[in-house]
Amino acid sequence: MSRLGIFVDRKTLSSAEQLNALIRCRDAAESMDHSAEFIFPGDIKKIPQMDALFIRARTDPMNVTYVASRTASSSGIPVIDDPSSIQICSDKINMYCHLKKHGVAIPPTEFLSKKEMSPSAIRDLFERMGSPLVLKEPSTSFSLRVEKVRDASEFQRVARRFIRMSDWIVVQGFVESRYDWRIGVLDGEMIYACMYTIPSDTFKIQDSVNGHVVYCGVESIPPGDVPGEVIRLGIDAANAIGDGLYGVDIKNSNGDACVIEVNDNPSLEGGEDSLYPQVYEKIISYLLER
Amino acid sequence: MKTVLSRESIHLVERDGTVHVVAEEYFYKTESYYTILSHEIHGIPVAPGSSAVLDAYIVPLCLERAGSAGIPVADCTISHSCAQYPAVLYGLNYFASSSEYSVVRDSARGKETVRHITNNGKYPLCYQRLAEGENIEGHVAIFGKSCPEDDDIRGYARSLYEVFGIPLVTMVYVRGEDGARLSSLAPTRYSSLSNAEKTLLRAYITHQEFL
Repeated sequence: MSRLGIFVDRKTLSSAEQLNALIRCRDAAESMDHSAEFIFPGDIKKIPQMDALFIRARTDPMNVTYVASRTASSSGIPVIDDPSSIQICSDKINMYCHLKKHGVAIPPTEFLSKKEMSPSAIRDLFERMGSPLVLKEPSTSFSLRVEKVRDASEFQRVARRFIRMSDWIVVQGFVESRYDWRIGVLDGEMIYACMYTIPSDTFKIQDSVNGHVVYCGVESIPPGDVPGEVIRLGIDAANAIGDGLYGVDIKNSNGDACVIEVNDNPSLEGGEDSLYPQVYEKIISYLLER
Repeated sequence: MKTVLSRESIHLVERDGTVHVVAEEYFYKTESYYTILSHEIHGIPVAPGSSAVLDAYIVPLCLERAGSAGIPVADCTISHSCAQYPAVLYGLNYFASSSEYSVVRDSARGKETVRHITNNGKYPLCYQRLAEGENIEGHVAIFGKSCPEDDDIRGYARSLYEVFGIPLVTMVYVRGEDGARLSSLAPTRYSSLSNAEKTLLRAYITHQEFL
């Protein structure tokens, strides 16, 4: 019997969906004759006593999840998400650099630094990349700091806001679509697939519209219904980051599939894996039985 | 001509096939961080590394790595509250900086400080217990060289440079009866350097450190 630590924080436990997902994970571990225990930030010193660590809290190099991941890694304990995956996926500059380096298809993407930002640089970006453009603050999650801009003044207004949080920002060509594929990849293999249907009044998977938060719809899709090129692209994108667990977002609206982003710590509480009942078993097997 | 150490300027120094990035700070998502990252992505040897600077500025990780290298380090506890005072407190969240620590001597002030650092309990903090009479002191290290009279601090500066490879850093220590224990590594403004330190840094930047 091995011991699985599941790293959580208060936010993870704040929703019924998250709690249900955690219980499913613990049940899966116990059904495989392993024990599972929740580890909170104050228990971080327990991590070296575990046989593996599964992080289920928002990851970022600047928060305690990174400390948990590094602690596991430096103790030689298998961990999802590993520190390198957190470092790369939490920062879209780093993530797109890795995807570009490995030749993974992404929308036209450039980076703009604070010192380069000028009216002429912005004009050049519109001339080269067209309109609208999408600006992203590198550490955004749930589309929080992702904005579509149509002209230079909008660009400047949004970029100034994002530049306060990061010296570089992402400038990307806009790809129209009403849904994103999400391909769950573990150790180079697809373990689930779903579609995120984008709400009709926005271009993001989550947005605030007229003061109300609107969420995307989630539909688990059986493997036979997922286009082969989408699966291959998802696996290629995940492999460009590492061999852990990733949720790869792909747009394929006009047949030219491209990766929008690779997420470490992908959500599993929204029904993403409802047609893939073995997901937690595969994760636990990867962590404890390799 | 004198090398200008202007605020936020970044200097690239090539030594032994490695590009050394000299900057006032190496925080995540700053120009210096992305300068390092760009070199790494293109396969160009660079120091410090991007994961090293993340470790250096996250107090528990910094102390873990420094301790493994034999440097005495302060005991560090991660929690949502501070159990014992006096203590030195660091935030552990997206907005925290290792250069912003609080030395708290009593629980009355501690409560308020903890509330501020944890954003009303939203994020954890890390605290280091101080014994009565212990104080915090800072020393600048430039390419692993530090100029205090204390031999130990000079040795620690060399070791920390071997661990993290940061050309310009402020070493924050807890000074007690038994000597100094590392508390954190923090960024260093050029304007805070002494004349001797500026001269040494300029020498490194212009490849004249042997003079």
